[in-house]
Amino acid sequence: MSARTVGFVIAVLVVGALPWLLQAPYWRGILVLCAMNVLLAISLNLVLGYTGQLNLGQSAFFAIGAYVSTILVKTYAWNFWAASLAAVAAAGLLGLALAAFAVRLRGHYLAIASLGFAVITYQVLVNWEKVTEGVRGIYGVLPPVGSMVGLFYLVAGIALAVYVLIDNLVRSPVGDTLRAIREDEVSAASLGINGALWKAFAFGLGAAIAGLAGCFYPGFVGTLVPDAFNIIESFTMMAMVIVGGMGTMIGPVIGAIVLTFLPELLRDFGEFRLMVYGLALTLVVLFMPGGIVQAWRTLAGRQWHT
Amino acid sequence: MKRALWSFAIAAGFAAAPLAVQAQDKVIRVGVVMPISGPASYFGVMGKEGIDLALDQLKAGVNGYRLQVQYEDSACSPLQATNTVKRLLDQFKPHIVIGEECSDATLAIAPILEQAKVVQLNAGSVTMKLTESGYKYVFRIFPNAEQQSNPLAAVAYNTLKARTAVILYEKTNAGNDNADGFEKPFVAMGGKVLARIDFGRDVNDFTAIATRIASLGKIDVLPTFGLEGQQVRLSQALAQARIVKGGGGSAVQMGSIWLPYGYDQKAGQSSEGYVRIVQFDPTEKRKVVQDFIAAFRAKYGADKVPTHINAHAFDAILLVAEAVRRGATDSESIRDRFSKMKDVEVTTGKITFDAKGQNSDLSVVHFVETQKDLSWKGMNWR
Amino acid sequence: MTDLLALVVQQSINGIYLGCLYVMVALGLTLIYGVLNQINFAHADFVTVGAFAAFFTVTRLGTKLLGLPDTAAYLLSMVTALGVGAGLGLAINAAVFAPLRERGDELRPLIATIGVSVLLENFQLWLFGPIPFQFDSPFSRETIRIGRIFFTAQSVLVVAVSAVSIAALYAFMKFTFLGKALRAVAQDRETAGLMGINPNLLIALTIVIASALAGMGGALLGPVLVLTPFAGATVIVKSFAIVIIGGFGNVQGTIIAGLLVGVIEAFTVQYLGSGLIDLVVFVLLLVMLVVRPTGLIAERKEENV
Repeated sequence: MSARTVGFVIAVLVVGALPWLLQAPYWRGILVLCAMNVLLAISLNLVLGYTGQLNLGQSAFFAIGAYVSTILVKTYAWNFWAASLAAVAAAGLLGLALAAFAVRLRGHYLAIASLGFAVITYQVLVNWEKVTEGVRGIYGVLPPVGSMVGLFYLVAGIALAVYVLIDNLVRSPVGDTLRAIREDEVSAASLGINGALWKAFAFGLGAAIAGLAGCFYPGFVGTLVPDAFNIIESFTMMAMVIVGGMGTMIGPVIGAIVLTFLPELLRDFGEFRLMVYGLALTLVVLFMPGGIVQAWRTLAGRQWHT
Repeated sequence: MKRALWSFAIAAGFAAAPLAVQAQDKVIRVGVVMPISGPASYFGVMGKEGIDLALDQLKAGVNGYRLQVQYEDSACSPLQATNTVKRLLDQFKPHIVIGEECSDATLAIAPILEQAKVVQLNAGSVTMKLTESGYKYVFRIFPNAEQQSNPLAAVAYNTLKARTAVILYEKTNAGNDNADGFEKPFVAMGGKVLARIDFGRDVNDFTAIATRIASLGKIDVLPTFGLEGQQVRLSQALAQARIVKGGGGSAVQMGSIWLPYGYDQKAGQSSEGYVRIVQFDPTEKRKVVQDFIAAFRAKYGADKVPTHINAHAFDAILLVAEAVRRGATDSESIRDRFSKMKDVEVTTGKITFDAKGQNSDLSVVHFVETQKDLSWKGMNWR
Repeated sequence: MTDLLALVVQQSINGIYLGCLYVMVALGLTLIYGVLNQINFAHADFVTVGAFAAFFTVTRLGTKLLGLPDTAAYLLSMVTALGVGAGLGLAINAAVFAPLRERGDELRPLIATIGVSVLLENFQLWLFGPIPFQFDSPFSRETIRIGRIFFTAQSVLVVAVSAVSIAALYAFMKFTFLGKALRAVAQDRETAGLMGINPNLLIALTIVIASALAGMGGALLGPVLVLTPFAGATVIVKSFAIVIIGGFGNVQGTIIAGLLVGVIEAFTVQYLGSGLIDLVVFVLLLVMLVVRPTGLIAERKEENV
């Protein structure tokens, strides 16, 4: 068995064991949240880490997944899975649409444009009251499976599957293409690579995965309000990717786990909680530029391939 | 990949460390879920002041029971609120939970507490949905949106003879419900709503809004539902645009329980002629009110006047203590004592819970008008 | 004046005043971007800190300790706010921008400053609490009326101070050696280095100037904003939109865009509803990016697009 297969088997075992190691409903809930965040971090990393597109609007796709699936289920009595499929498609297509013009933009221009897209999405959720209920919110949303353990297995299972899928993708020639574009789009073009097309592909795929994560959010909380998709959420996702280690597969996963559990573990700090969080974020970026993954490698003192 | 699993394991290790629940008999555990971080901590900080003061006074215990309180930060968000309530239920095992202040978060935690059969005592949300949803463990001492807006509409139409209104409200669940609560009865009586103008909590400059209002023709009343900080700026802009009496206009700005005492001093001359309903009135002569104010000043500073948020939180603890005094020992019996409460006097009035758990006694709620010297004048309006 | 004309004039004045406030915030962002190609996400929190510094200068230092009249105390507060802003600029340059600059990365400084922003907001929350401070300048209580048109003396002050700051900035850039060197660094860092200009010093200087502007902006905005630790955060996202609409790093463009957004905002309130302000502004932003990605005033920064 290859190291990768061993890793996969261990990951499956850990996911299987976690809800039994953490039996309290509160921690089981945090596990579900963590699995959702892992999905989000993977989705953003694909765009940010592998094609170097500064996307500050990932919360918009998360929101689209959540709202489209919930509205289809609640208003149009769709089956959850059909609704989710539609929601993922909607998020992916909107991602492609944004990418269609965003691929022309680079660096901070794309950052602010995607931020603008997130603001617009948020405002549409707030103002299109006929469909979204606006700030009044949608209540009593049910999760696709009844038990918290079941929900965790479902979301974590999907996160694992997506991880394996993307891991294989980035190790395939497609991954080489994406990296080539990230490093130097002009030289990539001279090799006959259509940069715009591949960037849009990554953007759309990332959006679809974020939308997929969004499908599970409303059922988990039970309540859906636009405020849950404030642009701040995009920054949280970005922080997960950076803190874990951008452009590696495992880094964002670690980042998502750390940044899901850290604020919860800091609860006993009360009012100092967010101060500590802000300071920690700044310090990690300053002193661990490659994130936890790189710091670990430096400590372990050996080569690592992803 | 292996490294990922390590961190999984580390995280799991952290998470598994149990928070010891203090094993003590004769304790009533009160969980408090409030926004302590973020902009909405406006509510949480004042709520905590009121609760801490009440706990000081109950140090000796009630009926042999000690009240033990744990605060959790729910940041006004449904996600955070549901997480913290689950945490409370797991680790603190409360008999009753006080909170939240924001309607979204309040509504999000209600089904969880209902399922856990833990009483939820709400002291600050106005959303109609909370008591309409049929929850058996939800009690609310704060008047809901209709209880606040109905008398405003009646006084606007009947007493002030208003026929036209522009409704101003913050774009939140609470603002929406209050605006609806005014519009429906006002229109039913024959009044006309010229415009409904909403604003997000991030709006700072109200000059453009005031200019628009000035262009809408003759306006009799301006029911306003927003938080203190924004309302100060809004009143000032309305006065500059000569719409309201404080600025030499003819329209009467009307407001609800949302505004604390002291607002008039902050808004200055522009608040002259402002008509509103108040529930907690520091000028009220009832002993429980004056004792509360004296104790509040002794604890937090002689120049401080408690707000209705302080008072409602203080009252919430008094009510829990009252339930214990009446023999409550756990969640179920607190629910039972609450549902039988009649005319229990607290700083914000008398509490009588109706079948839905809503306080139905609004005898203390009354109208005041801001005078030229910025003082209040009580009005005998209904 | 007809009703409509009066209304249009009044909303335009409201908009220009609002626009000046935005310019004070956005100008600093664009200056930093011009020389550093970096975004300071904590910039708007400097505005908040400036506003609190001004508030305490007026209420404690000015009127109580020094016994100054209201007006003098308020003018003094603008100076302290300026100083506090400059200090914050020095600090963030030393702590974040200078150490991260070597790595030539556009993302990490952004994330680091988001961390700084969270830290600053919550530190102030701990210090000042969440209850809005009542900051009234002697000018905000004075209403000036010309016919049916009205504005506060504060708004005149805001427009005047922004105009003077912008003029001073222009004069500095155009006529002083440091200013010329700054522009050289903005255009081409390596060449500037060859010319014997120390780019590190100049970058630090730019950040200090930009942050001082933000601090002073706080003194001007304090009597307008709902003054809480989160006051500045309410304008930061809009400021980014303004910076982009004006063309990143383009000072003139930023000024025009700021005023434009202010005016658009006022007319959105009048004709569409205040809830739609952000929607209108950000749709405009996306349209701009499609039509004129280099900003209102085309400039040499094509390599960013």
